[in-house]
Amino acid sequence: MSSLETIQRKLGISVSFVEQGGVQWLALDATKVRELAKAMNEIHARFITITAYQLPKDEGFRLEYHWDLNGQLLGFSIPLAGKSIESIFDLTEAADWIEREIHEEYGIDFTGREYEPLLLRQGETPGVNLRDVVAASKENI
Amino acid sequence: MSYKIPMGPYHPALEEPYKLDMICEGETVIDAKLHIGFNFRGIEHLAETRNHIQVIALMERVCGICSNIHTLTLCRAMEGLTGLTPPPRAQYIRVIMAELERLHSHVLWAGIAAKLMGFKTMFMTCFEIREKVMDILAAISGNRVNYSMNRIGGVNRDITDPASILKMVEALEGEMARTVIPIFTTSRTARSRCAGIGVLTTEKAISCGVVGPVARASGLPQDLRKDAPYAAYAEMEFDVPVQPDGDVRARLLVRALEIMESCKILRQALAKLPPGEIHTEGEKFAFITGTSTARVEAPRGEVMYSVSWKEGSRNPARVHVRTPTFAVMPAIRWMVKGARLADTPLIQASIDPCYSCTDR
Repeated sequence: MSSLETIQRKLGISVSFVEQGGVQWLALDATKVRELAKAMNEIHARFITITAYQLPKDEGFRLEYHWDLNGQLLGFSIPLAGKSIESIFDLTEAADWIEREIHEEYGIDFTGREYEPLLLRQGETPGVNLRDVVAASKENI
Repeated sequence: MSYKIPMGPYHPALEEPYKLDMICEGETVIDAKLHIGFNFRGIEHLAETRNHIQVIALMERVCGICSNIHTLTLCRAMEGLTGLTPPPRAQYIRVIMAELERLHSHVLWAGIAAKLMGFKTMFMTCFEIREKVMDILAAISGNRVNYSMNRIGGVNRDITDPASILKMVEALEGEMARTVIPIFTTSRTARSRCAGIGVLTTEKAISCGVVGPVARASGLPQDLRKDAPYAAYAEMEFDVPVQPDGDVRARLLVRALEIMESCKILRQALAKLPPGEIHTEGEKFAFITGTSTARVEAPRGEVMYSVSWKEGSRNPARVHVRTPTFAVMPAIRWMVKGARLADTPLIQASIDPCYSCTDR
């Protein structure tokens, strides 16, 4: 059984990985994020980062989680209907700063964890969407 | 009784903006908390207001030391969205620039580390050598810091006389083999100041997800140039130095050995530089809708760019940068735990942190 099949089996899903631009992509539901982190730990994949995308209009956000498995880049695309998702920090220590950064940049809440003081902008307000702040400041000019 | 010592945000040793709050008992550090974000620039958001040419110039300014790596990774990601493939000569020039940048970054770090060790003669020697690397970079690109070498589908400048660059590299290699490498690998001063200090165990290195020389100094043999080769790295023969101890000395040794490996790669790339174009001249291209991801082994470790574009759009929809220091810095907390207070500047410097990258 290949590593990719092992991941699918551990996540209990039948959808297959799709190779695109050297990345093996898998679309997942937000409820699977902690199972994903556990599966990645079990196969000794290295956590790289989370990328947040704000979708047009009121479509919400999309998060992309990335792990490295022996040089193979794995990408997991997770749409967010609201503005929260379970934190994986307790399972994946390396996700700490990027969860805090996304919280501070986009106002997305990673539930089940405590936030330390601001990472990105010392002295500012936590949990706001920076894009909205920038857009509002432009309107005021 | 414990007490707190705040160090920063203007760091006394590294002269960069970050803060380390250390809880001490006597002269021993019990715990530490890191604070960054004193110079956050919002470059990722700014990138969404730049077109495909402007965004390269912008991202080159994420970091003043590994500026070339940022444009290389960005261009590779954008090439994934345009279908352009750089010609072989461009791929070799990308390797040459990347290795020269690694040399200059490692030698710069070696100088700062020597200064923090109390070895100021070595600091002067390292900076003198670094100037020579900068001369080679300037001879190729015309610039000392932001080289403007990368473009979508290739590079902007050719190496017209590889033989002369090769001579410069060989002279540099000889000088480093005579001075920097033996001192860092065998000197008693370096050993007594660095051995057993700031240890990051293999288990903790895995847990923290550290990258680059810090990971390799903790026994993890990870290097994208070998694991997921890009540009012309698949055609180069080189070793990936790995040390098991995880202390400051191991980080010193890994970087010293990497300097010699970079020289080995440079000699091969300059000797085998293929003829031909340096970019896909005149080829029209358009961005497709989607996300493209690229990774490169920077001097400090893995850099990853995720670029998202909407077809017909002038600007990227999103540019996300994961810099190596962002991955490595949280591990400082574990390195300074149990250390003597006086060793903490050297421990912090041993990860070769880049706050410019972190506060992008």
